[in-house]
Amino acid sequence: MSAVVEARELGRWYGDVVGVSDVSVTIEGGIVGLLGANGAGKSTFLKLLVGELKPSRGSIRVLSEVPFANARLYRRLGFSPQQDALWGDLTARGTLEFLLRASGFPRAEARDRADRALRRVQLESAADRRVAGFSKGMRQRVRIAQAIAHDPEFVVLDEPLNGLDPLARRAALELFRELAAHGAHVLVSSHVLHEVEELTRTVLLLHRGRVLAQGSARDIRALLDRRPRRVAIRARDPKRLARALLTLDGVSAVRVGEDGALEVETRDLAELETRLPALAAEVRAGVRRLAIADASLDALFDELVGGAR
Amino acid sequence: MIRLLQASALHAAMHLPRLLRSRRTLIVLLLALAPALVAWLAGRLNSSNAPGEIAIAVGWIFVLQLVVPLVGLVSGSAAIADEVEDRTLTYLFTRPMPRASLLLGRWAASALLLTAMLGLGVGLFLQAAALARGAGQPLEWGIGAPLLCATLAGGLVYSALAAALGCFVKNPIVVGLAYAFAVEGFLANLPGKNQVLTVQFHLRSLLAQHASPAWAQFEGFTGAGLLEGTTSAAVLGCLTLGALLAGAWRLSRREFVLAS
Repeated sequence: MSAVVEARELGRWYGDVVGVSDVSVTIEGGIVGLLGANGAGKSTFLKLLVGELKPSRGSIRVLSEVPFANARLYRRLGFSPQQDALWGDLTARGTLEFLLRASGFPRAEARDRADRALRRVQLESAADRRVAGFSKGMRQRVRIAQAIAHDPEFVVLDEPLNGLDPLARRAALELFRELAAHGAHVLVSSHVLHEVEELTRTVLLLHRGRVLAQGSARDIRALLDRRPRRVAIRARDPKRLARALLTLDGVSAVRVGEDGALEVETRDLAELETRLPALAAEVRAGVRRLAIADASLDALFDELVGGAR
Repeated sequence: MIRLLQASALHAAMHLPRLLRSRRTLIVLLLALAPALVAWLAGRLNSSNAPGEIAIAVGWIFVLQLVVPLVGLVSGSAAIADEVEDRTLTYLFTRPMPRASLLLGRWAASALLLTAMLGLGVGLFLQAAALARGAGQPLEWGIGAPLLCATLAGGLVYSALAAALGCFVKNPIVVGLAYAFAVEGFLANLPGKNQVLTVQFHLRSLLAQHASPAWAQFEGFTGAGLLEGTTSAAVLGCLTLGALLAGAWRLSRREFVLAS
């Protein structure tokens, strides 16, 4: 089977701003998570993939086709963009019917497919309401519905879980699994690792426009768990607290900043959080504030990039 | 080609009902009806104004030189620019249909509506002018019919230009207004044959060729430099078609960077 997506030295920039740079990647199919922090280049990569943008450099093929303005490809591709944009004056059903008609389906079939897609995203009760009155989550579901209504071979979803409540999120994840179970390839972008982790083991990690890693979500999670975590602590007596903290298992370094703030590096965050109150009381250090400085995915990327350097 | 026509027809059919509900259409309608109000006021405020004089003066200066470019540009600029601004173009560009059909279909829908509104506007305008009680130039067929033709032709040309501009620039209405009121005005005042390059020149040629001699009261209608009416009609037709083809060509190749 040929690859679903093949990118070679793909680059795209907007003036001086790099969207993606030197991306060479092959995506084989199934469910794939595209992971990256905000601004990592996920949306640019997806826009190149669906032919909304042209590469500034390199090439990309999707289902063996060059995607830009390729009608043949669009019969086989469904795309849910990140931008919260829909025709507010149309109903949910009207939106889907219009787009299905534009995909070449006759009126009756377009209506059937629209109804079916709205049922799949649990919007059938709001089918005849105007999209302008929808909540953010409902609009997200309309976007997902239009991407799957024509039963495409390859579904590309840009941050499809944004704005969904926990129940809808669960249903959406189930829907993506169901699409894959019926043979569709699904590419889902997200900046939240555990969302992707729930869905797939295959992850493509983007950072600052480059592919940082491609592999299993579990490996990335393990990397996240293994690395030292940085915790910022403010205390009345930082030096005394620093000495005490160094006695804890897992604490590898403690720095006292010029402003008296402590930066603690630990491999066992849970241990630190559990033992800190008692320790601070024991040495009368008076902890005022504690913040985990690098809980975000950004920190992981910085870690990986740092490691690569 | 058949797919292009089918897709264009689909876009036109989908766009027309949405246009009818849009604020832009209301603005166009109000602009199209404005000459009727002006003609009615002209007749009311000065009882010596004759129906024909009002129709000619307001028709040439207000309708053709102001209202027609304005409504054409406002109406035509919606074809592509609205989808870009609303960031809904993504959905349409990732469908298996020729991109050009988006421009052609949506322009056809807006042109249909524009024609109806301008037709209504000119009809009411002539009715309002006919109410004037002045004893001079009567309102005759040679004034009203050519004015209607020139108005509709001008509306279609300007709307096609605006629709095509939407495929090239971000703010077609601003560029269109600059063209219609600054560039055309400048060209019209240059010596020589530069006026041939303006839409207004050809609209004037249409009027002068087929209209009442009463139009001759305006400078420019009597000059020997005007073209045959049929030639001007052909030029305007080619301009409309050329603008749409250029826009369709550009739309097929251009990428639109939409904010996420």
